[in-house]
Amino acid sequence: MSRYILKRIFHMIPVMFGVSLIIFTLMFFIPGDPARQILGDKATEASISELRAELGLDKPFVVQYVNYIEGVLTGDFGISYTTKQPVSAELFARFPTTLLFAIISILVACIIGIPLGIISATRQYSFIDNISTTLTLLGMSIPSFWLGLMLMLLFSLHLGWFPATGFYGPKYWVLPSVTIGVTSAAFITRMTRSSMLEVIRQDYIRTARSKGQTEFKIITKHALKNAMIPVVTTIGLIFGASLGGQIITEQVFSIPGLGKLMIDAISQRNYPVVEGGVLLIAFSFTVINLLVDLIYAYIDPRIKSQFVIEKKKKESTALKGM
Amino acid sequence: MNLLEIKGLKIHYITDSGVVRAVNGIDLEINRGETLGLVGETGAGKTTTALGIMCQVPDPPGKVVEGEIFFEGSNLLEKNAREIRKIRGSKISMIFQDPMTALNPVVTIGDQICEVIRLHQKTSHAESIKIACEMLELVGIPAERINEYPHQFSGGMKQRVVIAIALACKPSLLIADEPTTALDVTIQAQVLQMMDKLKKELGTSMLMITHDLGVVAEICDRVAIMYAGEIVEYGTLEAIFNNTAHPYTKGLFGSIPSLVLDVERLSPIDGLMPDPTQLPTGCSFAPRCNEKMSECEERKPELFQVSPGHFSKCIHHKNEMHKESRGC
Repeated sequence: MSRYILKRIFHMIPVMFGVSLIIFTLMFFIPGDPARQILGDKATEASISELRAELGLDKPFVVQYVNYIEGVLTGDFGISYTTKQPVSAELFARFPTTLLFAIISILVACIIGIPLGIISATRQYSFIDNISTTLTLLGMSIPSFWLGLMLMLLFSLHLGWFPATGFYGPKYWVLPSVTIGVTSAAFITRMTRSSMLEVIRQDYIRTARSKGQTEFKIITKHALKNAMIPVVTTIGLIFGASLGGQIITEQVFSIPGLGKLMIDAISQRNYPVVEGGVLLIAFSFTVINLLVDLIYAYIDPRIKSQFVIEKKKKESTALKGM
Repeated sequence: MNLLEIKGLKIHYITDSGVVRAVNGIDLEINRGETLGLVGETGAGKTTTALGIMCQVPDPPGKVVEGEIFFEGSNLLEKNAREIRKIRGSKISMIFQDPMTALNPVVTIGDQICEVIRLHQKTSHAESIKIACEMLELVGIPAERINEYPHQFSGGMKQRVVIAIALACKPSLLIADEPTTALDVTIQAQVLQMMDKLKKELGTSMLMITHDLGVVAEICDRVAIMYAGEIVEYGTLEAIFNNTAHPYTKGLFGSIPSLVLDVERLSPIDGLMPDPTQLPTGCSFAPRCNEKMSECEERKPELFQVSPGHFSKCIHHKNEMHKESRGC
């Protein structure tokens, strides 16, 4: 198992290189000049070309990329053009906020989505199922910026329960987490329902019934574990996406997260921050994927045995070689 | 008193495209220690009958419309869900057709056997594991494999595990729904012999559902032939095999290749089973019968006794018998 994890970590290297190349190329060819942005409209051509030379922007593309990668490999993500702070410091100041919201919202989404999905599936076409299907449809179709604004209107302006914007304590977490969580909960409910519906028609559920097992135990002991694989995949994807995709929500609630940092950086042509941010998001995504795969192995012994078989095969070929 | 007595059982599936008459008023009896073979082609209603006995007809769309199922003297159809759960797995248990899908892939076989033991017997965790180990040894699987998962076993082994689960609480009735259909021929023989041996050891009665007359000849004491939801012939193994009465049963035997006779072609039964949503008004086998008379299409035949304990549901045959007896 640990061997498999090492192998997967090794696989992450080419992925990260690919991501860095793509984002660096995009930023290189994007119109707009950072030097001109920094110095403003009234700057002279001479001072602009001087700054370009200072930032290394006058060098050819390949040289710039190699320099950047060299820096990244030594842990240096460059200096932010606007704040003159190291990019890594800026990213790690913002990342925990985004991570916090991603974790809270996914927890809320799971707590609502999984039980609702199970109930919907076990009572298909019942009143509860119809209600939950309608709600999930709503949850999936509501744009998050609109939902955020509406929540603000109701809970901050009219009721005054929660503050509308800012990030100063748990009270400030509620509205943004709900905004992000509603869509995720809807997706998780749908996925749980359809996966559960498939599983409860399987023969082994019938076997469990013919043993005299109660319906509750049949669902919790036999069906749930089998139905969880697609749900775990969905949760992993949503979690990864919410790390990089809270941009709009962060903007609406003025939360100093990664998304807001990146939006600002893109409009200011702050290349090192954009590149560093994308690399960080890509890295978190691959880590989440790895975790999801490990959870698969924990849930399903058939998947786990594939890792072991791989290992055994290698051992047996090694023995033959001797 | 018989262990199981089914009287006039009717099970219908009510679907959007019509009412599927899967089981149309069957009567069956199983004595203690006896093996009854329930034979018929696909769609004859064999599995639905079995699910009916287990009170596990999927509802909706299935519904037991009429009839009574007496097990050890009490009507199963009048019991509530809790009482049924107590009987399922402990007194009546079932082996399903496909061993590949009958076991939960993410639970160890040990847990799956222990589950049924702990549901019905007041045993500690350790005791139930001990019983599970004994059951595994009984069906020919080494007990040290108890913590393995279903995917680590072959098809025949899985069916053995399913049998171990079914027999773990020493039920008085075992329903085996085509237990060997999904297995290799060589494994089939092994599994059948094992089932027969265990059945005799535990004194269990068995309802063997199959479409394989070879299996029937091997282990059954009595045979019921089922066609379009009805039992068309019913008798001891000898009576059915040596003194075949119903044209459908004759047709079934005609479509088995013989090792003794050198026949150029087999003689299958022409046509298909009638659509269960639109069963014919007369004898349901009449459209395919080569001994059909005009009367057959007009009225439903009743069971009549061919010889003591041997019944058949055929108007033509009944008339023939009458002529013979009058002639004498």
